[in-house]
Amino acid sequence: MVRFENVGMRYGPGPEVLRDVTFILEAGSFTFLTGPSGAGKTTLLKLMYLAEPPSRGLITLFGEDLATAKRSAFPGLRRRIGVVFQDFRLLDHLSAFENVSLPLRLSGGRDDDYRQDVEELLTWVGLGDRMHAPPPTLSGGEQQRVAIARAVVGRPDLLLADEPTGNVDPEIGQRLIRLFSELNRLGTTVLIATHDRGLIEQARAKEMRLVDGRLVELRTQRN
Amino acid sequence: MSPRKSKPSRHILPREKGAAPLDVVIAVMAFLAAIALGASLVANRTAEGWRAGLAGRLTVQILPPDSGAPQPALERETNAALAVLRNTDGIVHAAPLSQDETMKLVEPWLGKGTLVSDLPLPRLIDATILPGARVDLATLRKRLKSAAPDSVLDDHTHWLAQLRGLADAVIWSAYGILALIAVATAATVAFATRAGLQAHHEIVALLHQMGAHSGFIARAFDRHYLLATLVAALAGAGAAALLFVTAGSLEYVGVEPVSFLPPLTLHLKELAWLAAVPAGAGLIAWVTARLSVMAALREIY
Repeated sequence: MVRFENVGMRYGPGPEVLRDVTFILEAGSFTFLTGPSGAGKTTLLKLMYLAEPPSRGLITLFGEDLATAKRSAFPGLRRRIGVVFQDFRLLDHLSAFENVSLPLRLSGGRDDDYRQDVEELLTWVGLGDRMHAPPPTLSGGEQQRVAIARAVVGRPDLLLADEPTGNVDPEIGQRLIRLFSELNRLGTTVLIATHDRGLIEQARAKEMRLVDGRLVELRTQRN
Repeated sequence: MSPRKSKPSRHILPREKGAAPLDVVIAVMAFLAAIALGASLVANRTAEGWRAGLAGRLTVQILPPDSGAPQPALERETNAALAVLRNTDGIVHAAPLSQDETMKLVEPWLGKGTLVSDLPLPRLIDATILPGARVDLATLRKRLKSAAPDSVLDDHTHWLAQLRGLADAVIWSAYGILALIAVATAATVAFATRAGLQAHHEIVALLHQMGAHSGFIARAFDRHYLLATLVAALAGAGAAALLFVTAGSLEYVGVEPVSFLPPLTLHLKELAWLAAVPAGAGLIAWVTARLSVMAALREIY
């Protein structure tokens, strides 16, 4: 599903924020990405969701070598990835419903085709009565849930989430993890960057740990 | 609480409220373009009108003699010239203009009054050629000269060529102005599109990130600028149309037209041509915005 080989990344002339990162995410796996702030978690996710090209190394995504893949193939690859951004990145002039349905709209879907699915999902994440509210009128936790709903609504092949439970209360956090697990059970490969140890222990999934730009640990939580 | 059923907005970009500077610039340029286009239409119509009015017509001038009794000599030569014209194959009608008709012809330049009536004006003979008939003008000119030595035959070709040249100069100048306005419009829209891309950078980056094709993002922008330009250009061209209509109505409010200049008014069919201005401006805006956005998106990974 995702393969990194000796990947390095630096922004401009600055120091390397990722060094010799090598790993494989198997299809259908559920993995946590952990590490202290500034370790390079967000940069690693950016490379995976094709926001930045690596400075060196090889990345293979869905079987495509990104170094040789045609640029015209990138939109198709990106549509197979759902991303929960740390800063949510919701469109303020659209309603919660419209934000969530955006990936389906980009895939050529029509309102009538996806309306019911989107409404059900928003209700499931506890926003059934706020689906027509624009993001600026929602709380931080509500915005985060809209961002998560947007990332999962298209049942992506790969779900990348950057601190997805940082702004929600524990009950909603557990509910969101169940949502990710359910999606994973249906075949989506999930990678969650988090500091939340409780979340990691609850999910009992594989953990990749980044420290100072290097992947230093790879382990699986045991019962 | 059941979810409210509202029609989702189809606008990926936020709608701007009020008239943006771009709208004002486009409206002014559309106004100037419509004025230039209208002027070219007036010039063309006037030249065509003159050509149609003088086609198949000849004018013979009998100039007053430098010495002797002018009036009897003028009458004698006029009758002789009339006789030549009426005996020429292909000329179906020849008649002298009366003194009053001649005075009216010079009135726009010299005005009215006794001073003008005392001037030694030539006698004019208006002749009509049978449609399709060919008259040998060189021979006719010689015959007129021998019958009336002070006669001058004018078939209007020189005068019409000069008028056509003037009209063509006006028309081509208008086309030049239209081309300049088109270039300025394209540059303005390209600038506005780049500014728009900067202003909506986060939206563009997000859509790009979510796998939107460049065409989808470009469509959001080109539609935005197409609509804004159409509305602004319609306002500008509409104001110009109003100006042309008003110019045609000035005599009703007491402003006398200048008789030797064509009226700066447009006919209904010509007014419809002004609709080409917003259509053209919209097309330019659409193409420019699309190309600008596609070029900018190629820069993103």
